[in-house]
Amino acid sequence: MMRCGYGLAALPGTDARLFSPEPSFLRLPRTVHPTRIKFGSFKIRAKIGEARKETSFYDMLGISEKGTLPEIKQAYKQLARKYHPDVSPPDRVEEYTERFIRVQEAYETLSDPRRKALYDKDLALGLHLAFSARRRYQFDEELEDQSEWRNRWQTQLSELKRRSMSRDAGGNMSWGARMRRQREEQSKQV
Amino acid sequence: MASSLLRTSFLPFHHSQHGYTNSTSTFHRKCGINGVAVAQMETRKAGSERTTLVKGRQIKRFLNFSGEKPSTPLLDTINHPIHMKNLSIQELGKLADELREELVYTVSKTGGHLSSSLGVAELTVALHHVFDTPEDKIIWDVGHQSYPHKILTGRRSRMHSIRQTCGLAGFPKREESVHDAFGAGHSSTSISAGLGMAVGRDLLGKNNHVVAVIGDGAMTAGMAYEAMNNAGYLDSNLIIILNDNKQVSLPTATVDGPAPPVGALSKALTKLHSSREFRQLREAAKGITKHIGGQTHEIAAKFDSYVRGAAGGCGASLFEELGLYYIGPVDGHNVEDLVYVLNEVRSMPALGPVLIHVNTEKGKGYAPAETAPDKMHGVVKFDPKSGKQMKSKSGTRSYTQYFAESLIAEAEEDDKIVGIHAAMGGGTGLNLFQKRFPDRCFDVGIAEQHAVTFAAGLACEGLKPFCAIYSSFLQRGFDQVAHDVDLQKLPVRFAIDRAGLVGADGPTHCGAFDTTFMACLPNMVVMAPSDETELMNMVATAAAIDDRPSCFRYPRGNGIGSTLPQNNKGTPLEIGKGRVLREGSGRVAILGYGTIVQSCMKAAELLQMLGVSATVADARFCKPIDGDLLRQLAREHEILITAEEGSIGGFSTHVSHFLCLNGLLDGKLKWRPMLLPDRYIEHGSQNDQIDEAGLSSKHISATVLSLLGQTREGVHLLNQ
Repeated sequence: MMRCGYGLAALPGTDARLFSPEPSFLRLPRTVHPTRIKFGSFKIRAKIGEARKETSFYDMLGISEKGTLPEIKQAYKQLARKYHPDVSPPDRVEEYTERFIRVQEAYETLSDPRRKALYDKDLALGLHLAFSARRRYQFDEELEDQSEWRNRWQTQLSELKRRSMSRDAGGNMSWGARMRRQREEQSKQV
Repeated sequence: MASSLLRTSFLPFHHSQHGYTNSTSTFHRKCGINGVAVAQMETRKAGSERTTLVKGRQIKRFLNFSGEKPSTPLLDTINHPIHMKNLSIQELGKLADELREELVYTVSKTGGHLSSSLGVAELTVALHHVFDTPEDKIIWDVGHQSYPHKILTGRRSRMHSIRQTCGLAGFPKREESVHDAFGAGHSSTSISAGLGMAVGRDLLGKNNHVVAVIGDGAMTAGMAYEAMNNAGYLDSNLIIILNDNKQVSLPTATVDGPAPPVGALSKALTKLHSSREFRQLREAAKGITKHIGGQTHEIAAKFDSYVRGAAGGCGASLFEELGLYYIGPVDGHNVEDLVYVLNEVRSMPALGPVLIHVNTEKGKGYAPAETAPDKMHGVVKFDPKSGKQMKSKSGTRSYTQYFAESLIAEAEEDDKIVGIHAAMGGGTGLNLFQKRFPDRCFDVGIAEQHAVTFAAGLACEGLKPFCAIYSSFLQRGFDQVAHDVDLQKLPVRFAIDRAGLVGADGPTHCGAFDTTFMACLPNMVVMAPSDETELMNMVATAAAIDDRPSCFRYPRGNGIGSTLPQNNKGTPLEIGKGRVLREGSGRVAILGYGTIVQSCMKAAELLQMLGVSATVADARFCKPIDGDLLRQLAREHEILITAEEGSIGGFSTHVSHFLCLNGLLDGKLKWRPMLLPDRYIEHGSQNDQIDEAGLSSKHISATVLSLLGQTREGVHLLNQ
């Protein structure tokens, strides 16, 4: 039996809201210090360190964390126009392009209510997942989508194979089964 | 798929009018190597060479849509599906891309259906790689998407002639190739045909495979369920591929932009593969549990896979209940996955009926098609670089548009008027009606039978339903028209578009029979306008007929430029009264029904040049037929020609009936009917088809001359 609070909502058919990982539900303190995380991988700790130093999306867009969608849009448009490589001074194209990409990323995250929610949650926990890490997360998401599908139909195929072995056994009186049996017998006779 | 950074809701400077830009300094797709994403910026020259990026494990090519003949090394080696057997998965993927280039190149020159074929490039390649046509049967539902199939089965060299006179048909056609297992044009017939072929194979003791490819739009028709129900029961080996691209109507868009697909089925299908919300919550949860650390993370992972199983399985029951084994969803643009699944399924001896749910994107691989609201489903010639279609400018608009506008004008004054169509908002013009009256327009999906009886139900409650259905699609709902509407004398109005010969779509879409099957119904009022003004008046007439059903037919094509009534609001005509358009002084009368009246007028002018003066009349009504007009024409002339663009049993038959019963054929009158011949007219341009059918103005005048004994002049006229 699952012990953590999370597991209490394991029964299917229960309200999906119970899956919401609100800190209070899980009896966590409001903020978790990333340095306390124990999984010990250097790479991850390094990333977290990096994440703490990075400017947040809100800072990048120059708006407050309570910014509304129109504000976010406006800030984005302004900055996009400023940093677009086509209008950047020729000697600073690289820098401006990088900024443009980050601004774009910020807008993409903050303008989608779901992603904004996740981002805000991370931020509240003191994490700003760096540009590349977040990209990989999304990228992985799509790959995961695909691999999830792949797993599903692979399971379905194995099940079908299994069924097909015993499909035309004696009891099955469907028209198709009868015809298949007949054909089997005929081919055996030949 | 990971989109380029610029493909977001806000598209700044780079989003030029052309969808697929070749401008310098564009952003490329990100390339992900070992999962680390790095954004690349490259400058590209216009008409650039193809670059290959690595994304995850797939190679992405940049396709050449420059308008020049694409270089297709792999495709050049394929003349028959057997040439595909030895290709590797990578080569198959490359072949699909080459197919896309070839498709855009060809269709940009001929016009036709584009995006359906683009969406199934990988699927077609996978099917032909795995299966062996013509022994194995692949049945394409509707057939819009069969262009890659035709290319791969030895018809590539003739693709430039597709949909043209004496060229390839735009749909699968048994007479054209052995690889076309079943002719198509109307939707939802593939599973039924497939089941028939499967059962036939079983009875004959053969061993081949039968594959039916049907789209989610076609799945909305009842016939598909009838077939699946029977397939589940018979348990014969059958592979059904559900090509799901979320396009149910044509277009699945309103006038203003894309619309979600109609019907509850689409939602059910979406549930089958979208667990995104669930996954995001899961991800967030995973994030948290990582903080908690160690054991809890493991436990949470176990719980997660349990719930995943539960959530994923429930949606498939729709098909499972019908007795089909459900597999999917499978990514329809991943050749490796498709080939794997198809091979597995092929290798099972006691398969039974199986449904493989494949997810594709309509228009995939060609940005202008992907982004257009109607996905560039049916196009005329276009510029491959930009996707812009070269629509010819005509002074007049199509009859469809005139119909829509006059219906809107009627509905402005009468709020009981409602519009119904069967997944053809664009084709019937009701998308304009929908824009104006969103709550009074009903798209029922591809379900003409239901549309008719649904309209009957509306009429019972006192509403005034206008059913806009193409002539050939209305055939499907004939019993509903006869039994549910006409028998009960319910005032349903039928706006029968695409009546007569339709051009490039060919006999599958030809509206030859509507007058025949509508006018034989006792209570139906049957009329046909000769131009757009008459059309608007007939819409008003139909709106006014409130005690019985009525219908009016109009063809594909543009108006002649007649003066429209003010504000597009027609005036009701007197029922059962035709009109005389041209008074002749001689012995000849020509009576036309429908837009062919224009050809009759032209014929009269030709005859005038030869000194023959003809009277031309417009019958307007086939039922009730204008008896007085017929009597007048019969008594005052010696030669009477009647003309219609319909099959036998239609207007001419009603004329003959009337003339006989009233003794008008007992005297000196020579009457000749001109109608569509008793055979199917092949696809081609509309003018070519009219000539083939013998209904052009030259033919009409030649007929008159032959009756006058001036056969030589007649032949001379025809040969001009």
